[in-house]
Amino acid sequence: MQGIVIPISMVPGNSAIHRMNPLPKLLWTFGILALSFSTRNIAVLGIAFAIGLLLVFYSRITSAYLRVALILFPISLTLITLQSIAPAFPRPWTTIAAFGPFNIYQEGIYSGISLLLRIMAMTTWAMVTIMTSHPSDIFTSLKKIGMPYVLNFILVMTLQLIPILQNEFGTVLNAQKSRAMKGSGFGAILPSMVPVFVGAIERVQQLSISLESRAFGSTGQKSSFRQVRMAFSDYFVMALGFVTTGLATYWVIIDKSLDWSKSMTFSPIFAVSLVLSATIGFLVFVIFAIRAALSA
Amino acid sequence: MEPIIKVENLWHTYPTGNITALREVSLNINRGELIGVIGQNGSGKTTLVKHFIGLLKPTRGKVFIDGEDTEPLKVQQLAAKVGYVYQNPNHQLFARTVQEELEFGPNNLGVPKEEVQERVEQAIKFFGLEELRYLHPYRIGFPLRKLVGMATIYTMKPDIFILDEPTTGQDNITTQKVYRLIKKLRDEGATVLCVAHDMILLSEVVDRMLVLRDSEVIMDASPREVFSNNEIMASTHLAPPQITSLSLNLRKNKNKLDDVVLSVDEMLALSKDSNQKEKI
Ligand SMILES: Nc1ncnc2c1ncn2[C@@H]1O[C@H](COP(=O)(O)OP(=O)(O)OP(=O)(O)O)[C@@H](O)[C@H]1O
Ligand SMILES: [Mg+2]
Repeated sequence: MQGIVIPISMVPGNSAIHRMNPLPKLLWTFGILALSFSTRNIAVLGIAFAIGLLLVFYSRITSAYLRVALILFPISLTLITLQSIAPAFPRPWTTIAAFGPFNIYQEGIYSGISLLLRIMAMTTWAMVTIMTSHPSDIFTSLKKIGMPYVLNFILVMTLQLIPILQNEFGTVLNAQKSRAMKGSGFGAILPSMVPVFVGAIERVQQLSISLESRAFGSTGQKSSFRQVRMAFSDYFVMALGFVTTGLATYWVIIDKSLDWSKSMTFSPIFAVSLVLSATIGFLVFVIFAIRAALSA
Repeated sequence: MEPIIKVENLWHTYPTGNITALREVSLNINRGELIGVIGQNGSGKTTLVKHFIGLLKPTRGKVFIDGEDTEPLKVQQLAAKVGYVYQNPNHQLFARTVQEELEFGPNNLGVPKEEVQERVEQAIKFFGLEELRYLHPYRIGFPLRKLVGMATIYTMKPDIFILDEPTTGQDNITTQKVYRLIKKLRDEGATVLCVAHDMILLSEVVDRMLVLRDSEVIMDASPREVFSNNEIMASTHLAPPQITSLSLNLRKNKNKLDDVVLSVDEMLALSKDSNQKEKI
């Protein structure tokens, strides 16, 4: 199954991050999530993103990360295009350039860049966590800290559903190709999505039967075969994450000088070229995606 | 005459887990041949036949279908000549009803509407699918689902028909349908490859067997030769049909029989032969 299948699941490895207990990783990820939603400051978001990237390199998951990022980033570029002409910001807006029938606004550029960085920062941290942790370890760790069993199960299944769906999609596509599926590109691929979801529903039904037949709903203490231990370093990293992201979030909320939406001004040239390159970047991506689908 | 399938020094390594599933396989298959592919679980049978329709591409070596190198060809293109019935029907079926499932292939091949309907009717009759016609493939039991899988390829009328374990887990009635299918395909001039653990089925229908062991084709010969080769049979943990074992034993122990027998009918025919009769 080549081509469009992108695995967002564990990438085996032996980095310190791989060996770490999933709990500190999850805590950091949720901390960064909270921080990212609490600020629009470009520098803060940019630093969070950059640290996330360093972790990606450090844990040697770069190629798996890039495969996801190469899809996510161009799609997120549309945020710059859309925000620049229709900012998600309280009016009044400051016009800095006209672009055909549209005005490009100062607040729009700012908001576009910060939304893009916010998405990239959050997904980068989340991917580091997902790609360096075994799903069962995440499950066991969350159970340990008292996450309700059913809720926990739903969370982990959702994480696993993505690779399952991708797999299913590849299988159905192969089945259709081996019966001489005519045409290619999105038009031909879209109908394949229907059986993929039917297949997924079927799978979930099967799963619920097999779960029930193995006493999933039973109450009482559950034992787990997989043992995940917290080492001293894990507690340390966790405490560090709690303090760092907590303080940072507190700081970005109370420090009003971090609102650069008015003070950080963009030259018309910069604004126009940014919007243009974001738009072109997205279109190039669309063309490549269609070509990839055609040759799949 | 040029072979319809030509395999030259084929290797295949799965990227996940770095498993070499095929090692140095070379063979030729001629038009109209009936070939059985046998070997233990995991010996590489499915990996081999998936190369013929392009679902897998060689890691090393070449595969030619009808003289054409498969390397640059897409599965969709090869599917016009090669029909592959998946080992697992769940990986093959995707449409909402059996009817749609049967129409999908020939429609894609550009077969005229009336002819598609004719082929669908034929297939439904041949495989006895009348009652399943408007059901969702997932609502049908596993053995019948496998029959539907065969029918979807049957309506495409490919030159090369590949069956991946068609009789595994099937009851007698369904197994009989598979027999009839293979014989019908032979009469229509198709080239048939049948992956199977069912030695009785193979001994009765195929002319030639490919024996795989640990990713290699270790023997390529007639069923009679394969079954009488003790070493091969032992090393692959395969057992010939009982009637063949009997004939082999008779031949070896008491020198009572001269031939290797593949079926009860053959044995009966021999026993009518006065010369052999007293020996048996
Ligand atoms: N998609 C895959 N990824 C990795 N390894 C695989 C994959 N498919 C098969 N294998 C491995 O390749 C080897 C050969 O598998 P294959 O399916 O060809 O065997 P087979 O002879 O068809 O077996 P069976 O009788 O069980 O169908 C096995 O060791 C199997 O585990
Ligand atoms: Mg197989």
